[in-house]
Amino acid sequence: MNKPIRIALTKGRLEKDTVGLFEKLGFDCTAIHEKGRKLILPVPDANAEVVLAKANDVITYVEHGVCDMGVVGKDTIMEMQGKFFELVDLGFGRCKFALATKKGYDFYRGYGVKTIATKYPNVARNFFEKKGMDTEIIKIEGSVELAPLLGLADGIVDIVETGTTLKENGLEVIEDVAPISARLIVNTVSLKMRQAEIEKLIKLIEVNL
Amino acid sequence: MKNYDLITPEGTKDLLFGECIVRRNIENTLLELFRSRGYSEIITPGLEFFDVFNQKSRYFPQETLYKMTDSKGRLLVMRPDSTMPIARVVATRLHDAVLPLKLCYNQTVYRNESVLKGRSDETVQAGIELIGSQMKIADLEVISTAVDSLKAFGMEFSLEIGHIGVFKMLVDKLETDEKDKEYIRNLIENKNFPALNDFLDTFGNNHITSALKKLPALFGGEEVFEKAEELIPDENVKHILDELRDIYVSVAELCGNDGNITVDLGLVNKTDYYTGLIIKGYLQGHGEEVISGGRYDRLISEFGYDIPAVGFAVNVNAISKVIEKNGILPAVKGADAIVFAEEGCEVAAIKAANELREQGLVVENALFSDIESVREYAKEKKIARVVVVDSDNQEEDWENE
Repeated sequence: MNKPIRIALTKGRLEKDTVGLFEKLGFDCTAIHEKGRKLILPVPDANAEVVLAKANDVITYVEHGVCDMGVVGKDTIMEMQGKFFELVDLGFGRCKFALATKKGYDFYRGYGVKTIATKYPNVARNFFEKKGMDTEIIKIEGSVELAPLLGLADGIVDIVETGTTLKENGLEVIEDVAPISARLIVNTVSLKMRQAEIEKLIKLIEVNL
Repeated sequence: MKNYDLITPEGTKDLLFGECIVRRNIENTLLELFRSRGYSEIITPGLEFFDVFNQKSRYFPQETLYKMTDSKGRLLVMRPDSTMPIARVVATRLHDAVLPLKLCYNQTVYRNESVLKGRSDETVQAGIELIGSQMKIADLEVISTAVDSLKAFGMEFSLEIGHIGVFKMLVDKLETDEKDKEYIRNLIENKNFPALNDFLDTFGNNHITSALKKLPALFGGEEVFEKAEELIPDENVKHILDELRDIYVSVAELCGNDGNITVDLGLVNKTDYYTGLIIKGYLQGHGEEVISGGRYDRLISEFGYDIPAVGFAVNVNAISKVIEKNGILPAVKGADAIVFAEEGCEVAAIKAANELREQGLVVENALFSDIESVREYAKEKKIARVVVVDSDNQEEDWENE
């Protein structure tokens, strides 16, 4: 038997959704359910090994080829970028990047350079760069919604799921930046060196989505 | 002020002892291989004018170049690649040389990579450039050299070929601007099927868009050619595919059972640079390609000499990494003997040491004042022979057997 295919999963919701998908494919995921503090877990029927990691690290591990595949949100891919194949849109973990401001604020008015608060500086920078618009981008680690409320920023670029948090804080989406969902990414060399195994797994995933 | 005098810059590192041996072995193996096929080495400067890398077919984003200015304020860069400087040399000093030119190199390139990603800014590349032939045999010659380069390290490898022409012919039939074409190229390069399908759907459903959608999936063994012919009913594309298949079959024969030869029609990197064949090489256990190359028939003409060329570069650092990861680091061989001089006998001792060296031994001159320290040092460094030279004679003092 070949050495197992290593799949990095983003801990949390995407992990649960992926495990759900694996179970639908008939894989025994007991080890993942009873993981305790373990971080590398076998999925014997798939000859695979699941690695649990933070979203950014999923990309790093796949890029370096220490994991063959990974499940990660498009949000992380857009922010981190990197060299890998983005093969499948898994369809779960759907939400979007959006530009939001205080309700009623006319964001595009005036010639002053606007300040944007975000957890995703690259996404925000690329979005405004495409518009040919200079902006000042401030990285915020916690609740980005605070920044316009406190008067630090004119707007925020953030992940929006239902929009409830925005609404409760008197903010509104004024423009969608990009749709987000979970993606299956594959290391560029693994896909070539282990083509048969990986393609088989991907086909199985695609018909069960 | 913070002092950085004890560390090396991000993306660089010191190599010690065994690591140097691995590095030099790889370099020597590759250079020897290239020379045995009639390639002559050239060394270009580490510093070049920025303009050399600012050609139409450039592919170095400016943020990846290490830049500085010369004494006249002109913009210099630390060479990010060897092919462009070689193109410059060919178009100037080698303009009247007999063709084809077979050149090889082994030198460091510098690129400002993103920080904290475990990437090296300093990479040694060993490679060849075959200049002045457009024949199929030239492509085959270069690919077979690439195969031998991979074989030389005795690890499981895979060589992959592609052809930029398939993508270019298809995308040129799409009625759209360069920006969209570049976006499509990027999606194909990343095999981003979901986004590629969505984007191409906006151009309607015809045989061009459906062929482009399939392009990134067309990789694997010889069966790819049949699939491609079925999916892309185009005379010009068929011509390219037939040529590529010919090469594929020949290389597969050359590879034998030692390695794996594959084709990927979705290889569309550096489209402004490559004009035909594309080559990539992979080693089991390394997450990125270790060989990269192809045919670039228009590059040298940008330096004023219209002449075709094909070549590849081996990433020496990547191969060192795989070798070190596999734990096949060679033992660093210490000295065979150490010669200790009694006071006043230093000259005699140096002469005695030289005589031993002439016999092919590695010999150290002892740098201690008493024989006990020499013995202790020899023990620590696993030096088998201790030779003492005093006013009467020279006596052997065997240790550490």
